[in-house]
Amino acid sequence: MEWIIDSDRPIYKQLVEQIELRIISGMYAPGDKIKSVRELAMEAGVNPNTMQKALAELERMGLVFAQRTSGRFITEDNKMIEEAKNTLAIKEIDSFFEKMKQLGFEKEEIISLIEKAEGDRNGNSKS
Amino acid sequence: MLGKLLKYEIKATGRIFLPIYLALLALTIITKVLLMIAMPDVFLDSTSGTSFDIPLGISVTLYFIIIVALSVMTLIVIVQRFYKNLLTDEGYLMFTIPVETWKLIMSKLIVGLMWTFVCVFTVALSILILALGNFSIMEMNQGISMLYAEFQNQFGMSPNILIAEFIILMIVETVASVLMIYVSIAIGQLFSQHRIMAAFGAYIVISIVLQIVMTLLIALIPAFGLEYLMNSQINQMKAVEVFINGITVFNIISAVAFYFITNYILKNRLNLE
Amino acid sequence: MEILRAKGLTKKFGNLTALSNLDLEIPRGRIIGLLGPNGSGKSTFIKLATGLLVPTSGEITIAGATPGIETKAMVSYLPERTYLNDWMRAEDMIAFFGDFYEDFNRLKADNMLRDLNINPGDRLKTMSKGTKEKVQLILVMSRDAELYLLDEPIAGVDPAARDYILNTIITNYKENASVIISTHLIADIEQVLDDIIFISQGEIKLLSTVDDIREKHNKSVDGLFREVFKC
Repeated sequence: MEWIIDSDRPIYKQLVEQIELRIISGMYAPGDKIKSVRELAMEAGVNPNTMQKALAELERMGLVFAQRTSGRFITEDNKMIEEAKNTLAIKEIDSFFEKMKQLGFEKEEIISLIEKAEGDRNGNSKS
Repeated sequence: MLGKLLKYEIKATGRIFLPIYLALLALTIITKVLLMIAMPDVFLDSTSGTSFDIPLGISVTLYFIIIVALSVMTLIVIVQRFYKNLLTDEGYLMFTIPVETWKLIMSKLIVGLMWTFVCVFTVALSILILALGNFSIMEMNQGISMLYAEFQNQFGMSPNILIAEFIILMIVETVASVLMIYVSIAIGQLFSQHRIMAAFGAYIVISIVLQIVMTLLIALIPAFGLEYLMNSQINQMKAVEVFINGITVFNIISAVAFYFITNYILKNRLNLE
Repeated sequence: MEILRAKGLTKKFGNLTALSNLDLEIPRGRIIGLLGPNGSGKSTFIKLATGLLVPTSGEITIAGATPGIETKAMVSYLPERTYLNDWMRAEDMIAFFGDFYEDFNRLKADNMLRDLNINPGDRLKTMSKGTKEKVQLILVMSRDAELYLLDEPIAGVDPAARDYILNTIITNYKENASVIISTHLIADIEQVLDDIIFISQGEIKLLSTVDDIREKHNKSVDGLFREVFKC
């Protein structure tokens, strides 16, 4: 997974999101040790202080915990990761619905469209 | 740190001089060999038109050219090392290393003087080598002691002191000349444009000012009550001595002034392009 | 204590005021972008910090000391100009830096030369302008200095070298050292910066952290810069 810093939003927030995504997707497994701030900063091509801030934010969120001597680790609390996953999913769904509403669809129409699209895709993949 | 600066200064200048000195050495040897073949006996007027005349002519010509080139190069290197290494792009490095400004000036001055003396010494040595065998050392010694005796007789003093004072004057004068070049270049860089022209201008202005001061001082000699020295023959040499030492002191004063002005400008008024 | 402090810092060249009454404090452990259009006073500020220029009035101090040999020993400066002697080899310059700077780390320099495929035995005369700039940057970044002053370090180099330079700055990061990078190419370096200083006509127009700008203006620093200095 590439680090992408592009938009006009604060860099540390983008870093938080991308690390969160890595945790949810399992790329960083629960209990894994995270690389040092310097290494991560280099990987992402960002300022070490900014990376530090992002990790502090993830710590505050509970997805990452620090051990005084040995560094930072991904949380082993699967429930927490699951929660983060759901939160992210709901956020994505919300923004999806927002866009569809702008296109003029009602909730029921959207759902039936989803089922239809999903059915087509399954049908295609079977044939 | 001055030692390190000197090391790099010698390295930077040595690579320019090394080939010239090697050429001088080679030409000295070649000319010497040709001389020995073409004119085995210098006391014979006719060289009997040997076939070595032409190569000897070429060799002697080249020899003089290389000596002139060496002298000119010594002057150019003195100017160029100060200007280029301190006041062009290279100055961005030289003035940001943790070294006092006066050490930068000193390193250029010391190595510049070193090459000047090496130049004088080498040329003298080379000429001596060429001349050796063409006259008798004994005769030369005799001639010199005769001159000494005559001098002693006429002026009642040994010329040794006078010669020593004259050598000191030459050394001081050389130092002052180099520092005058430095101060002119330093003044030149105060201008935002045409810095080299400004440096030349500064040099000319300083020369004129020095001339005026010198003339004034000489005009003031009677005021110092020195004219009585001229009156007797014995004291004539005393007058010459006073004159030489006067110029020495004058050169020392100007050299010190040039040095401090250069140091002040480079320290406080530096403005690299 | 802050690594750099300027108080009422003013520099005039004849009638031209290059810097006007600048007040600034730069703490340690920061990477700072000094941004502004050409002729805004960026280089003048950096030269004052190196001691190449002396202020007309006001003062500037590095770790509490006015610029002099003591501060020159802890400031690593990359000028816009190439100051390398053409007749030298890269290794001669490394020896020179090793001789004059106690904090010069030879190992670091050798590694960086290898990374950038520069042969230490090559004469500078035979190198392209871009390669010379890289050698100069290697020399400057190989010092364990307390303040790095980089004047337009990425202006002339290719994108690969630019990434290498930025990576070097990040890897080289130390809590007790700060880096000041002057540039007009903000987009390229924005993400490695903690803070930015906008400077225009010799005055500080804005001083902020990068993320504060993004938060407040909903714009990248580059975007804001383009807006503020529209021409």
